[in-house]
Amino acid sequence: MSRKKISQLTQQFVFVGPTTIFFALIVLVPFLLGVYYSMTNWNGVSRHLEFVGLSNYVHIFTSDPDFRNSFWFTVRFTVVAVVGANLLGFFLAYFLTKPLKSKNILRTVFFMPNMIGGLLLGFIWQFIFVRGFTAIGQATGWSFFNLPWLGNEPTAFWGIVIVFIWQYAGYLMVIYIASLSNVSKDVLESAEIDGANRTQVLWKMIFPLVMPAVTVCLFLTISWSFKMFDLNLALTNGGPFNATRSVALDIYREAFTNSRLGLGTAKAVIFFIIVAIITAVQVRATKSREVEA
Amino acid sequence: MKHKFAKKLMWVPALLLAAASALSGCSQGGSAGESGQKVINIYQGKVEISDQLQEMKKVYEASHPGVILNIQSVGGGTDYAASLKSRFSAGAQPDIFTIGGFQERDLWLEYLEDLSDQPWTQHMDQVAKDPMSADGKLYGFPLNYEGYGFLYNKDIFKKAGVTEIPKTLSELEEAAKKIQAAGYTPFVNAYAEWWVLGNHNVNVPFARQDDPDAFMKSLNDGTADMASNKIFDGWLDLLDLTLKYGNANPLTTDYNTQMSTFANGKAAMTQQGNWVQPTLDGINPDLNVGMMPMPISDDAEANDKLFVGVPTYWVVSKNSPVKEEAKELLDWMAGTPEGQEFLTKKFQFIPAFNNIKAASEDIGPLGSDLTKYIGEGKVLNWYFQQLPIGTPQDYANLMQSYIAGRDTREQLLEHMQASYDNLKVR
Amino acid sequence: MEQDTRYRISTLVLEILLVLVGLLFLVPFYFLISNSLKTFGEILSDAAALPTSLQWANYKSGWEAINFPSAFKNSLIITVVSNLLLVLFSSMTAYQMVRRDSKFNRALFALFVAAMVIPFQSIMLPLTDVTSRFGLSDSLWGLIICYIGFGAPLSVFLFHGSMKSVPLEIEQAARVDGAGTYGVFFRIVYPMLRPMYVTVIILNTLWIWNDYLLPSLILTSEDLQTIPIATYMLFGQYTKQWDLALPALVLGIAPVIVFFLAMQKYIVSGIAAGAVKG
Repeated sequence: MSRKKISQLTQQFVFVGPTTIFFALIVLVPFLLGVYYSMTNWNGVSRHLEFVGLSNYVHIFTSDPDFRNSFWFTVRFTVVAVVGANLLGFFLAYFLTKPLKSKNILRTVFFMPNMIGGLLLGFIWQFIFVRGFTAIGQATGWSFFNLPWLGNEPTAFWGIVIVFIWQYAGYLMVIYIASLSNVSKDVLESAEIDGANRTQVLWKMIFPLVMPAVTVCLFLTISWSFKMFDLNLALTNGGPFNATRSVALDIYREAFTNSRLGLGTAKAVIFFIIVAIITAVQVRATKSREVEA
Repeated sequence: MKHKFAKKLMWVPALLLAAASALSGCSQGGSAGESGQKVINIYQGKVEISDQLQEMKKVYEASHPGVILNIQSVGGGTDYAASLKSRFSAGAQPDIFTIGGFQERDLWLEYLEDLSDQPWTQHMDQVAKDPMSADGKLYGFPLNYEGYGFLYNKDIFKKAGVTEIPKTLSELEEAAKKIQAAGYTPFVNAYAEWWVLGNHNVNVPFARQDDPDAFMKSLNDGTADMASNKIFDGWLDLLDLTLKYGNANPLTTDYNTQMSTFANGKAAMTQQGNWVQPTLDGINPDLNVGMMPMPISDDAEANDKLFVGVPTYWVVSKNSPVKEEAKELLDWMAGTPEGQEFLTKKFQFIPAFNNIKAASEDIGPLGSDLTKYIGEGKVLNWYFQQLPIGTPQDYANLMQSYIAGRDTREQLLEHMQASYDNLKVR
Repeated sequence: MEQDTRYRISTLVLEILLVLVGLLFLVPFYFLISNSLKTFGEILSDAAALPTSLQWANYKSGWEAINFPSAFKNSLIITVVSNLLLVLFSSMTAYQMVRRDSKFNRALFALFVAAMVIPFQSIMLPLTDVTSRFGLSDSLWGLIICYIGFGAPLSVFLFHGSMKSVPLEIEQAARVDGAGTYGVFFRIVYPMLRPMYVTVIILNTLWIWNDYLLPSLILTSEDLQTIPIATYMLFGQYTKQWDLALPALVLGIAPVIVFFLAMQKYIVSGIAAGAVKG
């Protein structure tokens, strides 16, 4: 090997090595072990487990309506929550790059929901939906607050959507602000000189230029909403009548509550494959719309 | 500069791994500690008593030189089972851990030490022995009894003119009407909580079978079903009654709302157990409360029962190097005045041993009512622990669907049967 | 983007609207803080109202209940060390992946991206198996290594996106001046990407600081408890000690808010420097 080659290899190892080693150890190996368990009947406790081939997978596809239901719920939720959170995040960012007096404090305010972690956040919001909304409803008589919040399918669904958007819009806002600030003044000024109005500037000029941020934000929100667990557990626990059980919660219930770990990990593997395909398509689609600025 | 830097960087992961194993080396390393000290690792899920357990550790270590109790309490309520499993898969098996009876006993059986020969077993009632017995052996130390039924507000009963505790379904409806007429909500139903429905409420029709064990067996081999069982019908009559005379929006009423509504004297009855005593005391210390049965028929004598079980047992790991010391600890808790004092006075538990009595000022009015029923033998066990793992959560969902009016009785029982049949397959 | 530097009526209307939305965003914090100052009975009976008398003693009890100094120390060590190593390792990896676009690196990147969607719950048990075999259980270092492993995909992904905006010409110029690869990375690339570093650090801090499940699996000793673990000890199966948990929660959030306020300046200045690209 030539000297150059050695130095290149060293460089590859130094730069990529540590991340790869830790990633392999912490994520990859357990995941592969999981794939193995998905072909067993392990209950998560016993030292004795049998290899059962693909029968867990067959079971999921033939006789497990719960998984299908939770998958369908997760898809519906993801579509609504991702669009909602990104729209709100973008417009907050867009407005907060204008010369507002309260700009800095508002940025912090919108970002604050992220500072409370998962489960506790769910508990607090449950408190608000169940107790706070009832109190407001009694005081004002507005029918919106007198709905049986979290008690039927639509309110439970929208309840989770509201909290998700509330939590992540500020996070996305930060990324969009970073990206918007990068849109050069010259481009916009020349557009205004050309007589473009504000809406045109927004759609024709700004959107294409922040496409890289859109890619990142879409990717983030899709993977969060697909993996949603804490919020779901604390807010509705999948209820009422399993109407809001996300896939991650379904996997957890199967593996730990039902003590059918083999079956649970088989669900996880199927889910992983589906989501990996979806995100790959999404990244490819938005990447192709990015404009080199 | 290049090479120097590269070398430095390459050391980072290696150093990290070395440091990690060095650091973790001291805290792992099995139960038999250095210098002849025996460490008993205890893993338990009842965070309510974690402070008192630390106190017990001090007392015990002082009287047992050479033994160290390492007690870990896991919070969050629902996560204990998952974290216990992860302890085992990490190969760090505790010497003593806590599990429930029946199904959980079977799940963990291969790790459990036989405790049949321990002196405290002779003071256990059958109701405490059954859930932890297998093949004539006993595997667990019952930490306490807990029991549930309807809690009722004695002052509201008096004001509404309900003088006798209702023991039949018709009497209960009578009482509910009077209470409603007096301007109170008869029932506050926390049917948003899965365990209120899927554990405690659904236990009623199973426990009320003439021979619950035989019934469960025939469910398992498919010779019995729920739809044609009269007792299930009576149980749903009771459920309907609580809904008819209950608060608005039972499906959004959670435990907190239930407790504050009841403790503040807005509702007369609610389905809960003696574990709510501290919460009630926290909201309204002057509440005049008692516990009464949940009638599902007009047979007063058959209805006059409370549902009592042992929520958690302490079990000893078969593979533990300090299992003799662990057994000694359990014997100390049940067999010495100091240990018993922790069970009754400090934990404020109803002991599951018939030679230990708790004072009513420690366990409150609910505990006292319960103790009375236990003393008279008017108790039924917690058969929800015997349902296939996962069914209670499922049943809660199905019952919520019935409560919301989306399913009929027939559909509910049909779905419950289907869920049972699905989850009994392991 | 500050094309409109004039403050017009429409700006004022916008400002008022945004302030209103902002107030809406703060409602849960009102619940959090006002209830943290009530007695237990009052929390359950009247959650929406203002406290009738301020129970500052809750904060003292909450502080003691979670052993705040010790929990804070552990959370701080874990968050700071994980963050530093994570941004160092993952930015280097992203740099190498962008600059040396080999098949191996591409496959690795795809693997990282795919791994982001693995639900944590599905690898929990095998993970504890692996970590105990490598002696990572019950140690802060073990937990930090877990965070590097789990955090690497997202961090690499974010750096990978921004790395493309570092002009190759500047790097080449530096090389002509005699800088080696490592020199180029630390003296050219790193300063240009500073805003991205800040972003990644903020995102990872929020995640690690608030994380409950992973530390609860890895750490078992009481003296290693983090703030979330200690707070969860106040939640039993039936009884949730809200009067202790809410002040504990406020105590746990306060450092992150201070941190964010401090960091926000860097984001803004980074933006002004015009160096960030999504």
